[in-house]
Amino acid sequence: MAAERPLILIVDDEPQIRTLLRNTLARAGYSAIEAATAREALNSRDIDRPDLVLLDLGLPDRDGIELVTALGGASGAPVIVVSAREDTDQKVAALDLGAADYVTKPFDTEELLARIRSALRSRQATTPIPHLVKAGSVSIDLARRTVEKSGERVHLTPKEYAVLAELARHSGRVLTHRHLLRSIWGPAQEGQTEYLRVAVRGLRQKLEAVPSQPRLIINEPAVGYRLIDA
Amino acid sequence: MAMPVRLPSPGAKGSATPLRGYVEALAMVAASTLIGLVMARRWGTSAVDLLYLPAVLGTAVVAGLRPALLAAVASALAYNYFFTAPHFTFRIRDADDVVTVAMLFLVAVVTSRLAGKMRDEARAAAAHAARNATIAGFARALLSCSSESQIGEIACRRVSELFGCNAALLTGHPVARLVSRCPEGTVLTPSDLAAAALTLDSGRPAGRGAMRLDPAEWSFFPIGTEAAVVAAIGLARDDGGQPVDDSQILLLENLLDQVALALERTRLEAGARDLAGLRERDRLRSALLSSVGHDLRTPLTAIMAGAADLRSRGLDGDGSVAAIGTEATKLERYISNLLDMARIEAGAVKVHSEPVDLVDAVAAALRDVEAGLGGRTLEVDVPIDLPLVRADARLLHHCLINLLDNAGRHSDAGSAIRVVAALEPDGVRLSIENDGRGLALPGPADLDRFRSISGSDRKGGAGLGLAIVKAFAEAMGAEASLCASPGGGGAAASLRFPLNLVLALGELSDGG
Repeated sequence: MAAERPLILIVDDEPQIRTLLRNTLARAGYSAIEAATAREALNSRDIDRPDLVLLDLGLPDRDGIELVTALGGASGAPVIVVSAREDTDQKVAALDLGAADYVTKPFDTEELLARIRSALRSRQATTPIPHLVKAGSVSIDLARRTVEKSGERVHLTPKEYAVLAELARHSGRVLTHRHLLRSIWGPAQEGQTEYLRVAVRGLRQKLEAVPSQPRLIINEPAVGYRLIDA
Repeated sequence: MAMPVRLPSPGAKGSATPLRGYVEALAMVAASTLIGLVMARRWGTSAVDLLYLPAVLGTAVVAGLRPALLAAVASALAYNYFFTAPHFTFRIRDADDVVTVAMLFLVAVVTSRLAGKMRDEARAAAAHAARNATIAGFARALLSCSSESQIGEIACRRVSELFGCNAALLTGHPVARLVSRCPEGTVLTPSDLAAAALTLDSGRPAGRGAMRLDPAEWSFFPIGTEAAVVAAIGLARDDGGQPVDDSQILLLENLLDQVALALERTRLEAGARDLAGLRERDRLRSALLSSVGHDLRTPLTAIMAGAADLRSRGLDGDGSVAAIGTEATKLERYISNLLDMARIEAGAVKVHSEPVDLVDAVAAALRDVEAGLGGRTLEVDVPIDLPLVRADARLLHHCLINLLDNAGRHSDAGSAIRVVAALEPDGVRLSIENDGRGLALPGPADLDRFRSISGSDRKGGAGLGLAIVKAFAEAMGAEASLCASPGGGGAAASLRFPLNLVLALGELSDGG
């Protein structure tokens, strides 16, 4: 049924990019609407009530970062930020302001669709987060606070478990270093990146097939970590 | 503008002609005698001796000691002749008269000494004031100059006027270059120029008067300090005499200090102007590159998305669509490198160092370049217990992408690329090695050298990538190097994080 198709708002000032995205999204089973400016985007948010926003940060009429809060805040629709490779600071700022995820321009279509799927899943947060999250051969039981690898219980330190659980709750989405440090170690430890690095390293040793070539917990340089939900 | 004070030329100082003082002395004594003769007729001779005091005092003040002594002698003789008994003879009878003559002598000596001292002091003060006024006027004139040649012109003209000699200003090293001269058309011989070069080089006076048997006709004085000579000024007199005598050296030095300050000021101003121009050019170039980067990326994104779309619909029969995708990715990396290079050259690389796990860094880089390394086997040997290093994750990511990209470009499909990290005595080393065609380098090679070697390489772009690796590594405090692979044939590029960037393992915990 057409109404069941999630509605995605594409905010980009380049018409050819909008056309491409619309075609790609349509083939992947989404409905898409377009906005070329911040003003159009805000109108569309109020009228069309999209389920997800794809936001290019380089808009001519307004700072893209401001738009993250404006678009995501009221409607509650997850915002996926599209930005150039160099703008790491901007990405982190957008994520800290509540953006669900980001893709780097020029983006890989498959990667973009994967991000959209993960973000939409968290959109349906009205349905409770599943108790059981699977990542490769690892399954995380968030209710019983247990982790199994290939059916065998794995013992984790409390911090390791906390990091894994936080990543699992947002499975497939990138969580910034700051977000992880704040929610697990507390705001005072926000700058202690090494705690996080050590916890992630511990998780990899216990969960990854080849710890030095991680496939489950993925590093996004200078941004954060992501649990691959394949 | 104050007119320069013309200084007396050497050898012509002191008071006016000495003869005039003696004439004045005799005239005053004669006047006193005449007054005395008039007074003596009415009131007697008792007070007449005092009339000679003003004559002696006046002469002492106006003309100095010798004319005053003459006045004293003349007074004594006149007094004796006209007013003491026996009148109209030079004989002295009373002791009173002897005392009077002696007193007049004493007054002459003492007064003339005092007056002479005062006169000298007044003259010195006037000379000092004149010198200060000269220096101040000179400095003011130089202040309005904005170029070296203007300063040279003013300095030469003023110095020439002040000292009554020819002047020439020269700069340059090792060959002295004439900036300005006064009067125009003044000629310097090769020996003069050699002397000027010597002054510019050594910071000491040279030429005539500075050394015995110097063939130069000009005397050259340094402008600036001995450590940093900015120019030299040459002085010469048409009659071949010494241009400046010892009493004027101090004034000359003061003036030359002003010239040095003015020259230094124009040099700094010129430097500041150049710098501002360079900054502006850099800024424009960076702005241009950023905008070009953005403008190129947009169509590139469309091309890549279009290719991916065609492939996902199964429309890539012969692999040409896949080729479009990989080539577009390469193009994107070149653009990225150009932007990085622009940032490096503009000095705009910001470093945010944080503890980084090289396992993370290597995995992220491999994820980004894996598709472009098609067919090559990747061997990753990064120990999971390697210490963390302090680095900027973004800069490191760009370094690794470039190194992997480079290793792929210089090796054949089917060969292996190894990523090896290890803790060594001098830090943590991360190497990327290939078995490829190698670099044909005899040993360790500097990345900059590699840049120039491959600058003409048809495979281009590699040099730029490695130069970026080097610059980013240095910005983080790490060290990049390139050498022939230990196994031979290939090459190994490594990043070394010195011990101060390595986090001690024992101190690490997950804080839990």
